[in-house]
Amino acid sequence: MADDGKSKGKGKQIDFTVVVNGEPTTVKAHEGERLSAIIPEALRETGNSGQPPENWELRDEDGKLLDGEQLIESFNFPKRVRLFLNLKAGVGG
Amino acid sequence: MATQSVDPAVSRAKFERQVASFRELEADYSRRGWFLACANFPKILVLLAAPQLQPAPLVTGVRFDFTDYDLHPPSVKLVNPFSGEPWSADQLPTRLMRRTEVEAQMMPGMNLPPGFEPAKMVQDQPLIQDYPGEDPFLCIAGVREYHDHPAHSGDAWELHRSSGAGGIIRLLEVIDTYGLRPLTGFNVQLETRITGFSQAEVPA
Repeated sequence: MADDGKSKGKGKQIDFTVVVNGEPTTVKAHEGERLSAIIPEALRETGNSGQPPENWELRDEDGKLLDGEQLIESFNFPKRVRLFLNLKAGVGG
Repeated sequence: MATQSVDPAVSRAKFERQVASFRELEADYSRRGWFLACANFPKILVLLAAPQLQPAPLVTGVRFDFTDYDLHPPSVKLVNPFSGEPWSADQLPTRLMRRTEVEAQMMPGMNLPPGFEPAKMVQDQPLIQDYPGEDPFLCIAGVREYHDHPAHSGDAWELHRSSGAGGIIRLLEVIDTYGLRPLTGFNVQLETRITGFSQAEVPA
């Protein structure tokens, strides 16, 4: 079946390059999904199993923190986009 | 001071991997004001600027020491970017303040109604800690000084090693988030001095 980049009801597919603690990996998701949906796969692909997804935060190339609960379409990403996934600071001080 | 007990080849290989992870996206990090100035095993020096300010200041250096990595996490200290010397507590350009919510302390023995929830208090907490006679250090999991401190004996490095908590990119992200990105301008102190008198007109 020809792939027009869309999945029925989910919108256009976006190709994410997710840099996890400095290591890049590729994750695909659709515009109708929440941004946080890309986190578990990115962690799995890079072998980062020590901390649950909620302990990680996503940022764009400018370092701006992104709200994972927002739908991907709300960010108006281009078809290919690079994001940075890092552990939160956690307990400290 | 940390000593090398792991086979140096292992630590060096993991050190090189850390450096490579930075070099791979060096252009992106440069735009954010991160510059890898020096990488000679076991130490890495990264310089951090605040590009959102004009003129953009070079705020601090960060020195990582990967001795005995990753049996032990890296040491992380904020340093003078020009001399490479650790900042003393009174010289720190930033203490990486973080706002957290804590529950208000209740008086012991108070009779509270069922379902009562203590109020939440907001407090600003520095992620850079210092103690007399010691260099200030970044006090979060993934940092040698944090895990070596007796107050954190219940939060062993082994619990965090596999999560990448000791990675340089992740640690730089924390320092940038709480120390550089929040900067919005410069504090300026002016001193006024009387230099004479003003005069409306010169009489004929």
